Formats: sequence, structure tokens, C-alpha cells
Amino acid sequence: MSEHHGTERELGEVVLRVTGLVKWFGEVCVFDGLDFEMRANEIVGLIGPGGVGKSVFVKLCCGLMAPDAGRIELLGQDLAQTTEQEKQALRERVGLVFQNYALFDFMTVGDNVAFPMRQRGGFSDEQVAAKVQERLAEVDLPKVRHLMPGELSGGMKKRVGLARANINDPELIFFDDPTAGLDPVTSSKIFNLIRKTQEQRNSTCLVISHDIDRMRAACDRYVLLYAARVHFAGTAEQALASRDSIVHEFFQRDKEVHS
Amino acid sequence: MNPIRAIGAGFLQISQTVGGITMQMLQIFRAMIPPRFDRDETWLNLYKVGVKSYPIVAMTAIFTGAIMVIQSGTYVKRTGATGLLGWGAGYAVLAEIGPVLIGLMFSGRVGANNTAELGTMKVTEQIDALRALAIDPIHHLVVPRFVSMVLMLLLLTALGDLFALAGGALTSQFILDVDYRVFFQGVFESHLVDEYLVGLVKGTSFGASISVVSCYYGLGVSGGAAGVGRAVNNCVVTSAIGIFVWDYFITYFANSTSLLH
Repeated sequence: MSEHHGTERELGEVVLRVTGLVKWFGEVCVFDGLDFEMRANEIVGLIGPGGVGKSVFVKLCCGLMAPDAGRIELLGQDLAQTTEQEKQALRERVGLVFQNYALFDFMTVGDNVAFPMRQRGGFSDEQVAAKVQERLAEVDLPKVRHLMPGELSGGMKKRVGLARANINDPELIFFDDPTAGLDPVTSSKIFNLIRKTQEQRNSTCLVISHDIDRMRAACDRYVLLYAARVHFAGTAEQALASRDSIVHEFFQRDKEVHS
Repeated sequence: MNPIRAIGAGFLQISQTVGGITMQMLQIFRAMIPPRFDRDETWLNLYKVGVKSYPIVAMTAIFTGAIMVIQSGTYVKRTGATGLLGWGAGYAVLAEIGPVLIGLMFSGRVGANNTAELGTMKVTEQIDALRALAIDPIHHLVVPRFVSMVLMLLLLTALGDLFALAGGALTSQFILDVDYRVFFQGVFESHLVDEYLVGLVKGTSFGASISVVSCYYGLGVSGGAAGVGRAVNNCVVTSAIGIFVWDYFITYFANSTSLLH
């Protein structure tokens, strides 16, 4: 556990298990037998050099892409054995915050956040409006409901994406580089929000970022992808104590930069 | 490049496109059984596709009718067979030129716009976001567009035909000095109901073809803004080809079964 966390969190069952994952894009091998595991209630930081396949990994785990080989078990179900309808049912239990926001630019911010809830059905307009207001307030954006996504800054869009991903209280949330292109203050706010969200709802989070130092405010442990495989998996302390040159380079350099 | 290799590559490209469009069509039909529509998205598209296209279709139709009358006017004047003016213009406009030109305008305005919209959603990961939010893009985006385009091109063709006849009548009255009543008498006495109905069948088929083609290219975009541009270009070209292919088969079928006289 990270030193930033006051209490040891009780980890539950495995919510995501990846075994022997292989993925090729043309002649480029992105994953070559990758193994990965995540347990309920933990926040895992997924790090690695640019282009190593972190976003691809998230899309594979959500069933948005198909692997060439290997097995992905999401919330106890093998994605390869599920129909598209079953995948949709699984995705209702999963949230995803995209690197490039992916907000629907033809809808207002309020409609963007409300969209998954409306599509799920079973809620009155008043219930939807109240929950949207609550989620926007949580991300410190209580007054942007009627604006269009194009009228927001990058940091605000990220926070709206976070509110949208959270609206249906998912069990597992993927954050694909939620602080890319943001200033340090906003980055810290985003990581604090991720941590707060996890604590409030007991969700499980996988966070992709390059900002390892600030990630420590949120993450319990880290997984370093390198050369198509998991190169390191462990806590920040284990990483800092590691004699592996690649792990050392990632963690120590980031620490030196921020100090 | 080796010519045989080039022919083979071209054949493969065409096969891939035809196969992709066919798969897209099957996906749409599958998503429509049982019939489930996203009400808001369907209404929005009916408005965008139909109401907003109405002025440009009316304009195209008026001039199409007028051109048909001017073209046949020289011979009508020379022979004095003014009664044939309504028949000539009506036949050409209702069965052939009207639906085809309205279809081409529609593909340029609505089809291209649809491809650009879906393509932009694809490159900005909005399509992936829909899927990640457990929403099927075919149900939510494609089916409403398909229904709207089919329905609206049918209605636009029906209305456009009337505008074309009005354009023909005005040209007949003011350019050729042939009374508009004579023009309409020629139209009605020719019993062009079959031509009108065949034109509507064409409009419906063109609507289906344009919607499937534009969604196929939109959802298949890759490579950022340049990819969107390429997809729009491909959509317009393929839609135009689709219109002429459908037109050929429907005309052939209508004539071979003596629907048209």
C-alpha cells in the first residue's frame, strides 16, 4: 500500500484477470503473453512508455477490441465466451474515462452525464437531473450543466468525463490518462477525485498515467508495461527499492523531476 | 505496377466495399427486429434529414421540371403538339429525372453530412464511448438514420415531383406561352400514376442505399481528419453509383413487368 493511505484497504475478489494476452497490429506485437490481475477495491496505476499499449489494454479489457490470443475475465466473465448482449450488460457495471474526453459534442454537459442513466432506463427525469447535479458537484463543476463540451477547458472536460463514467455507480472504472495535458494543480485535483470516488463507492480503479509522483495520491500499487509484457507489479515502495534499471528509471526519475 | 496485380487489387477493393456495405445492411435489419427505435435520435434525424433538406430539394425539383419543359419546348412549338408538353415533362420527371436528381442532391447533402458526423465521432472516440457505456451504436445512431433517410427521401421525392410539375407549368406559361392548364391537362390525361409510384419506389430505395453507404463509410473512418475527408468523398461517389445501379434495376423491372407504358 502507498504511504499516503491511512488504512490498509481490504481487497476483495478478482475483478479483472488477464492471462496470456497477445495482440498484434499488423507486424507490431503489442502484447506477447501478458498476465495481469486486479482485485476489488484497489486502485492500480498502469504505467509504461508511450506507445507500449496502455490504452489498447484498457480497450481490450472493456471488450472494445478483441485479443489475438489469451483470456480476459472481466467481473468473473470470460469476454471471449460472452455474446455482444452479455458484453453490454457487463459494460453497464464498468466505467471508462477516455484520454481524449470522448464527450458527445452534440449534447450539453448535463445531457452527456445523464446519457448512460437515461439509456439504462427506469428513472424519472427528476431523479436523473438530481443525480447529474450531484455528480457534477462532486467533480466541482456544479454550474456547467447547460454548457456544450466545446465551451469547457481540458481539465473541465476530464472532470465531466469522470462524472459521466460514475453516473451508474460502476464496480470497476478505467481512467485512460486522466491528467494528460493538464497543469499540476488540476492533475492533483483529478487524482484526489479518483481516490475520493473510490472511497465513497468502494469501486475498483485502473488508472493510466505518466505522472507517477502525483499518482501516488491515489494508487495502491503499480503495474509497469514494458516490451509487450508486465515488467513490474508492486507498490511504490517496492518500485523505489527495486534494482531493476527500467523500474528505477521510471520511478526515480519522476521523483527527481518533482523534487 | 503489374497490370494483373492492379486489376486484382481493384477487384479485392470492390469486393471488400460491397461486402462491407452488405454486412452493414444486415446489421441494420437485424437491429430492427424486433423494431426498437431511439425516439429522440429518430425525431432529431427526421428533422435534420427531412425538414432541412426540403428547400434544396424543392429548388432542384422546380428547375428539373423547368429544364424538361424547355428541352421539349422546341419540338412542341415546332410541331404545335402543345398537349404533349405535360406528358413529356411529366413522364421524364416522375419516373426518372426527378427521383435521380433528388437522390443525388440528397446524397451530397445528407449522406456526406452523415458520413462526416459519424466519422468525426469515430476518430474522437465517441463511438467507443457509446459502446463503453453499454450502448449499441447501430441501435442508437445507425437505425434512426436509416429510418429517417428512407422515410424522408420517399416524402421528399413525392413532394419534389409536385414541385417539378409546378416548375414545368410555370416555364410552360411564361417562357413557352403554353397555358399551364394545357400543361396539367397533358400530365393528367397521360395517366402517369404508375410512373409516379415507380419514382417513389426509386426514392425509397435510394434513401436506403444512401443511408447504408454513408453509415458504412462513417463508422469505418480511420486516420483522423484526412480519414474523414476520404470517407466523405467515398460516400458521395459510392452513393451516386448506388443510385444509378438501383435506378437501372428498378427501371428494368418496371418495364419488363409492363408497369411502365
